[in-house]
Amino acid sequence: MNKYLLGLLAVMVFSCTQNDDTIKVKGSDTEVNLAVQLAETFQEVTPDVFVSISGGGSGLGIASLLNGTTDLANSSRPINGEEMKLFHQEGIAIDSFIFAQDAVAIVVAKSLPLDSISTKQLAGILSGKYKNWSAVSTKNQPINIYGRQSNSGTHDYVKHQLDIQFSPRAKEMNGNAQILEAIKSDDSGVGYVGAGYVVHGGSKGIKTLPVYVESGAAAVSPLDGQMIAAGKYFFQRPLYQYFKTDSYQKLKPFLDFEKSAQGQRLIESAGYYPVKK
Amino acid sequence: MTTNLRRRERTDWLLNRIFKATGLLTIAVLGGIFFMLLYNSVAFFLDIDPVDFFTGSQWKPGGESAGYSILPLLASTGLVALGSMAIAVPLGILTAAFLSELAPSHLQAILKPVIEMLAAIPSVAIGFLGIVLVGPGIATLFGLQNGLNALNGSILLAVMALPTIVTISEDAINAVPDSYREASLALGADRWATLFRVTLPAALPGLIAAVMLGLGRALGETMTVLMATGNASAMPRGFLDSIRTITATIAIEMGEVPYRTTHYFALFAIAAVLFIITLVINILGETLANRLRKFHA
Amino acid sequence: MKKALTAAFNWTILAGSTAIVCLFLGIILFDIFSKGLPSVSWDFITKFPTDGMTQGGILPAVIGTLWLTLITTLFSVPFGVACAVYLNEYAPPNALTGIIRASIRNLAGIPSIIYGLFGLALFVQGMGLGTSVLAAGLTLGLLSLPYIITTTEEALKQIPNSMREAALALGATQFETIRDVVITRALPGILTGVILTLSRAAGETAPILFTGVAFYINRPTSSLNQEFMALPYHLYMLSTQHQSIMEVRPLAYGTAVVLIGLVFILNLIAFYIRYRHRVR
Repeated sequence: MNKYLLGLLAVMVFSCTQNDDTIKVKGSDTEVNLAVQLAETFQEVTPDVFVSISGGGSGLGIASLLNGTTDLANSSRPINGEEMKLFHQEGIAIDSFIFAQDAVAIVVAKSLPLDSISTKQLAGILSGKYKNWSAVSTKNQPINIYGRQSNSGTHDYVKHQLDIQFSPRAKEMNGNAQILEAIKSDDSGVGYVGAGYVVHGGSKGIKTLPVYVESGAAAVSPLDGQMIAAGKYFFQRPLYQYFKTDSYQKLKPFLDFEKSAQGQRLIESAGYYPVKK
Repeated sequence: MTTNLRRRERTDWLLNRIFKATGLLTIAVLGGIFFMLLYNSVAFFLDIDPVDFFTGSQWKPGGESAGYSILPLLASTGLVALGSMAIAVPLGILTAAFLSELAPSHLQAILKPVIEMLAAIPSVAIGFLGIVLVGPGIATLFGLQNGLNALNGSILLAVMALPTIVTISEDAINAVPDSYREASLALGADRWATLFRVTLPAALPGLIAAVMLGLGRALGETMTVLMATGNASAMPRGFLDSIRTITATIAIEMGEVPYRTTHYFALFAIAAVLFIITLVINILGETLANRLRKFHA
Repeated sequence: MKKALTAAFNWTILAGSTAIVCLFLGIILFDIFSKGLPSVSWDFITKFPTDGMTQGGILPAVIGTLWLTLITTLFSVPFGVACAVYLNEYAPPNALTGIIRASIRNLAGIPSIIYGLFGLALFVQGMGLGTSVLAAGLTLGLLSLPYIITTTEEALKQIPNSMREAALALGATQFETIRDVVITRALPGILTGVILTLSRAAGETAPILFTGVAFYINRPTSSLNQEFMALPYHLYMLSTQHQSIMEVRPLAYGTAVVLIGLVFILNLIAFYIRYRHRVR
C-alpha cells in the first residue's frame, strides 16, 4: 500500500516539469515531413527541447491552436475570416511566420501524351467540365481526379487559385502520399501535391506538368528553382506557421533554427523553396 | 485490546464506504458519457433540423454548402456490418458446432487457444492487413484501382467478430441439455439430424445473442474501417464502393474541429446515434444470453 | 449411400468452417511475421527513427506504449479491483447493485472511439490536462475498467465462502478477511485478468487519437504533460499517412511484429499464470 502511494507521488512529481521546454507542432500534411526533419536536426542543436509533431491538415492545425492543444500550427493556406473570428471571440492574439515556399505540382502518369497544361484547361479538368483526356490531349480516356479533403490547405489553395469548385467525382485522398500512389497505378489520373512529395516520394511512372497562364507564354515547372525565386510559377505559395503571440519566447529557439542556414538547407533539400528575401 | 479492535473496526467501516464509492463511480462514468453525448447533441439540434440530419443526402461539414446528414454514414456502417455478419455468422456458428459436438478434447485444447489468439490481435494490425493483403487481392480479383472498399471492411470485421460469435455460440450449444440429444437419438434420428434439427434450434436464443454481440463489436470498430474502406463520405451504391462509417468519420474529423462549433456538435450527435445503436444491440444480446444461462442452470 | 454422402457433406461444412477460421489466424500471423521479422532487430527496438522516419527504429513508440500501459494500470487496477470487491463481498442484492452491474455491462459494450471523445471532453479539455500521455492513459484506464471489474469478480467468486466464514469466525473484520484471505487466494485470477486487459489496451488506437498521440517526437517522453508516440498509432501512420508509403512498408511490418509480439507475450504470461493456478 505504501509502496503504491510512493510510486504515485513519484509519478506526480515527475509530471511537474514546466511547459517551457515542450513544443507541440500540428497541422499541414504538406509541411509535416519537413517539420519532422527539422525537429530531428534541431534535436542535435538544442537537445533540451521536447518537440512533438502531428499532421492532419492545415484545418486541424489552426483548430488545435484555437483549442490550445498545439503551440505551432503548420498551415499551407492563410488563416481565413471565419477562423480569425473564432480567435477574436476567444481573445487570442496570434502571429504568423512564413518558413518556406511551396510549389503545388500537377501530377499525371508519365505515359500521358501531354507536355504542359494551361490554367484554363486545368480549371476545366478539376471542376469536372472536361471529363475526358481527349479535351486536352490525344488520349481518349475518362479523367480520374485524385484530390484532398476539405481540411487540406492544399485543396483550398488550388480551389481558390483556379476559382473553381472541385468536381463531386473527385476522389478525396488522405494525404499527398496517397495521391502519388494512386497516380502511379492509374494512368488516366491527375492530382495535385506539394512539390516536395514528388522529389521525395519518387517520380517513377509519374511526371509533373509545367503550367502556363496564357497561350504562347512559357510553361513553368514546379521543380524550377529559379523561376520560383522570381515568383513566376502559378501555384507557388508561402507555407505558414501560426502561433499565439504569448508563446513566442518558448518557440523562439525552434523558429530561429528554421531561419538559420542549416534549417534553410534542410528546407531546400526537402523540395521546398526559401522564402523570397 | 479493545482500542485495537475499535481501530480495526473503524478501518473496516471506512473501507466499506470507499469500496461502495468505487461502485458508484462506474455509474458516474456511464452517466458522464451519456450526459456528454446528450448535451452536445442537443447543442447540435439547436442549430440543425433533426429531419435534415436523418434524411439529407450529404455529409459535408463546414464551409459554404454544409450538409450534416447521418444517412450516408448510417448506410455505410450498415452495409459493412451486414457484409461482415454474412461472412461471420455461418462460419462462426458452424465452427462452434464443430468445437462442441464433433471435436475430440485434444483438438479442442488446440482450437480454443487459436480462437483466443485471433481475438487478441489488435484492430490496427487487422486494418493494416486490409491495406497490404486483402486490398490488393480485391483489386486484382475485381479489376479495380485499389481494394479499399466495403467488401474489404466486411471481410476484416468478420475476422474480428468471429471469436465472439464462436465462443458464445459454443457456450449456447453446450448448454443444451444432453437429454435433448439422447431423446432425438432414441427416436431414431442420426447425429446430423439431431444437430441441425434439435440441438441448434434449442440453442437459438444463445446463438442470436452471439450474433448480436458480434454485431455490436463490428459496429463499434474504428481503426479497421478507417484504414481499409476508402473513407468516401458519399452514399454507397454497393460493396465495391468506398464507404465511410460513423466511427471513421469521428476519427477523421474530430481532430480538426474547433471546440463548440456546429461541426463539433455534429460529431457528438453521430456518436450519440452510434452509442444508442450499440447499446440496444448489446442489451438485446445480453438478455438473450441470460435466458441461455437460466436454461443451463 | 445418400446418408453417407450427407454425413460427409455435413462433416465438411463443419470442419471446413473451423479450418477457415484457423486459416485466418494462420494467414495473419504468417504474412505479418514473414514480412516483418527481417525488419526487427535489437536496433529497431532501441533506436529513434531517422531521415524523416524512413530509417531507424521505433524506440519512442515502444516507450510510449509502455508509459500508457503503466498509467492505465495505476488508474484502473485499484478502482477496478475495489469495485469488484464491493460487488462480490459487500453489495447487498438490491436495485442499486443491479444498476451498478448494468452500468458495467454497458460500459463494456461502448465503442472505443466514444471513450476517446469522453477522454477529450473530460481529461484534455475539462480537467485541462491538454493532449498528453496522462490524458491518454486515463482514457485507456476508463476503457479497461469494465474488464478488470468483470475478471476480478470472476476470480473472487472462485474462493469458497467457507474460507471467509472461517476467517470471520476467528475474529477478523470483513476487510481483513478480504485482504488476507480472499484476495491473496484470488491473486492469480486477478493478475490474469489485469494482464489480458492491459494487452488489449496496448493495442488500442482510437482512444489515444485525440488525447495525445503524436506522429513524431524528438526525444523520449519524460513527463506526464508531454505528447507521445505509440505502437498502434505508429503502425497506422506508417501504413497510411507517411510521405513514402512503399519505402516504409518494411518498417510498418516490423512495427506490426513488435505490437503483436508484445500482445502475444502478455497473453502467454496470462495463460501460464492461469494454467499454474487452475482450480484442481
